[in-house]
Amino acid sequence: MGRYVIRRLIQAIPVLLGATLFIFAIVFALPGDPIAALAGEKRQDPNIVMIMRDQYHLNDPLLLQYWYYISGIFLRGDFGKTFAGVPITQLMAGKFQVTLNLALVALVMEAVIGVLLGLWAALRRGQAIDTMILAATLLLISVPPLVTGFVLQLWLGVWLKQAVGTEIFPIAGISAGLRSYLLPGFVLAGTSIAYLTRLTRTSLVETLRSDYIRTATAKGLSRRRVIGRHGLRNALIPLVTFLGADLGSLMGGAVITETIFNIPGIGLQIYQGVYLREQPIVVGIVTILVLVYIVANLVVDLLYAVLDPRIRYE
Amino acid sequence: MRVTKGAQIVAGTALLALAVAACGGGGATTGNPASGGAGDTPVRMELGEPQNLLVPSNTTESEGAEVLAAVFEPLVNYDENKQVVLAAAESIESTDNKVYTIKLKPYTWQDGTPVEAQNYVDAWNYAANQDNAQGAGYFFGRVEGYADLNPGEGKQVTTKEMKGLKAVDNSTLQVTLTAPFSQFKTMLGYTAFYPLPKSAFGADGKVTQEYGEKPIGQGLFKLDKPYKKGTDQAIDLSVYDKFPAKKPTGWTKLQFKLYNSSETAYNDLQADNVDIHDSLPASAISSAKTALGDRYQDQPDAGVGYIGFPLKYSDEYKDVKVREAISMAIDRKTIAETVFTGTRSPADDFINPAIDGYRQGACQACQYNPTKAKEQYAAAKGPAKLELGYNADGGHKEWIEAAANNLRANLGVEVTVKPFEKFANILDDLDAKKYKGMFRMGWAIDYPSAENYLTPIFSTGAIKTGSNYAGYSNKEFDDTVAKGDQAATPEEGLKFYQQADDILIKDLPYIPVYFYRNNSGYSTKVKNVKINLLNQVEWADVEKA
Repeated sequence: MGRYVIRRLIQAIPVLLGATLFIFAIVFALPGDPIAALAGEKRQDPNIVMIMRDQYHLNDPLLLQYWYYISGIFLRGDFGKTFAGVPITQLMAGKFQVTLNLALVALVMEAVIGVLLGLWAALRRGQAIDTMILAATLLLISVPPLVTGFVLQLWLGVWLKQAVGTEIFPIAGISAGLRSYLLPGFVLAGTSIAYLTRLTRTSLVETLRSDYIRTATAKGLSRRRVIGRHGLRNALIPLVTFLGADLGSLMGGAVITETIFNIPGIGLQIYQGVYLREQPIVVGIVTILVLVYIVANLVVDLLYAVLDPRIRYE
Repeated sequence: MRVTKGAQIVAGTALLALAVAACGGGGATTGNPASGGAGDTPVRMELGEPQNLLVPSNTTESEGAEVLAAVFEPLVNYDENKQVVLAAAESIESTDNKVYTIKLKPYTWQDGTPVEAQNYVDAWNYAANQDNAQGAGYFFGRVEGYADLNPGEGKQVTTKEMKGLKAVDNSTLQVTLTAPFSQFKTMLGYTAFYPLPKSAFGADGKVTQEYGEKPIGQGLFKLDKPYKKGTDQAIDLSVYDKFPAKKPTGWTKLQFKLYNSSETAYNDLQADNVDIHDSLPASAISSAKTALGDRYQDQPDAGVGYIGFPLKYSDEYKDVKVREAISMAIDRKTIAETVFTGTRSPADDFINPAIDGYRQGACQACQYNPTKAKEQYAAAKGPAKLELGYNADGGHKEWIEAAANNLRANLGVEVTVKPFEKFANILDDLDAKKYKGMFRMGWAIDYPSAENYLTPIFSTGAIKTGSNYAGYSNKEFDDTVAKGDQAATPEEGLKFYQQADDILIKDLPYIPVYFYRNNSGYSTKVKNVKINLLNQVEWADVEKA
């Protein structure tokens, strides 16, 4: 078990190196001069362009640039600086926290709402409530987060405040603590809630048809125990896989939500990094996202063993 | 079951670690202030994130400039009649428009020390030196000795001072230009010309990172704490007690709230969570007029949008009749009112209405006249295919498509639109003489003078170093602008600039399409908000409602 975990972590090293080099090369391949682009539509003084290109090693070949970057991280713990001279570690430190908060709020909402709705639909399969839940999830899937975001912001942020007189859901920023994350968390989790509801429903319906459920019922176990202990637990495996993989995409894919609700997280930062062609920002964030994916996958694999004793890791 | 237990523990620990990490960050990163004492809530203004740290000589964009304008007092300001008025300067005099003597009013830095003429000399020399790679260094290009500080790429800078800058005494500054320039006074209100205190410079002679995070100015507001760029969502300031000029009445605290989306900021404005929003999104304009009523303001902004031609290497647009026909085929009014929902106005001159010197209707060929356009285009044998390039990152697609439709319908030609990733990519292709189509172009002024719409964009000298992307070169134009530069008074200079403007209207190296407008809104908590020519709020006039 311990050995299994260590082996998985060692396997992560080449994945990390490969991913960083890959991202570095992609950003490198984008057309145009990032320094000249800083001046917008005015022509940047050519002297300044040259001096800044030197300063950021932009005249060197790709592999040498990558070496400067990666050796900086491993030898000096230095992720480099942005074109504006801000250390990237400083940029990332606060932002990862914020995005992690947002992603976890979304993940909890997703898990709780998704599983409960799915359970409800599965137990009332074919009845009106089942149809209603399925229709609602269809709506959630088909409306893009850009729309849900602005609509909920206007309804629950602006109009509700104007109607009630006090702020319940903050419109922008994160100054109200957990409360600030509720709306954006829901918007971010939206489509995943819908998928998870459908997944839970299908998985549970499938499980409830199996022989051991019939056996359990025949043994005279209570309905609660049959569904909870024998049905749901077995139905959870695909859900855990989905949730684990989703944590990564929630963290990396929050650009729109973070923009709408003015949340200073990494989604937005990574977008700006790509836009300004600042490799150190993009690669720094992606490296940590890759780590999150690796750890989340590991946790998912270990959770399988918790849910199903037949699965073992030697 | 042995393994399962282990897995449970590991998985549980990992989840717990995530949760703890998440909680740890709770409020630590917000940078959101607990507001000052009771009864003194700040006036809050919407702002985008400044591009750089807050150093005047490296700030050439609007957001950083807005913050610095609150922290510094410029030498001159601009009044409601678009004229220059003295601010931190007691007097600015010159007999020949070449040597300017600037007397300073007694101001103090926000650390208590007096502002001296040498502080200006230091700041300007620092800005102009190529080794410091300051974005606004080019503003000093007219000062004698600028060339010594900018010997060019790879060459050693041998001096640290411009010959033309001299602190005569503690309160007198003398500036010598390489050639007479009648508009120099107008330039002095810009961010690049703010002074820097001695404490701004580190041991290596460069402006320190600490200073860039918490600049000490001589203006109305001082920063409460360092601004951590990329992390903080607000910049908090308080009135500087010893500021000698007009202070706001009834309030002392100012907060800039940083937004990534102006739509979000508009929602916050409606909910009274922010008080001033000076860049309302186009999508909000129609609702803002009814939702905000008197609290919505619409005024000219000094920017201009053009369509340009690659005149320097393409012969297709060489005939001015062709360019005129293209210009007359574009329905500017519909573009401004429908595509831009009123956030632009149709252009009818090369000089913007926000600036002294604008003449309504000066550009005849800017009026929509599809019949004449078609005739003239056919007579001049204009190209059968046109291409229109734009940068896809700036919200230009819609109006470029609209203009292309105008050209298709009115000239009967085939028009393709070509998106470039960024404007810099268009520039690269123009420099390499690769791109043969027309291209969009925009101009935001550096200083509010009619001259700023001419020299940097259309002079022969600007082909290499400025923004003359068309490669337009006309000696008569250059000479007329030079006469304006050498004129005895700004008023006399303006006459020559208008003559030069007439030459542009005749030659149409670019066709002006629209003028920008400034659309701003205020919450119910403030009143008397005025925005000046540089798009900055006049803070001393703002009152709490």
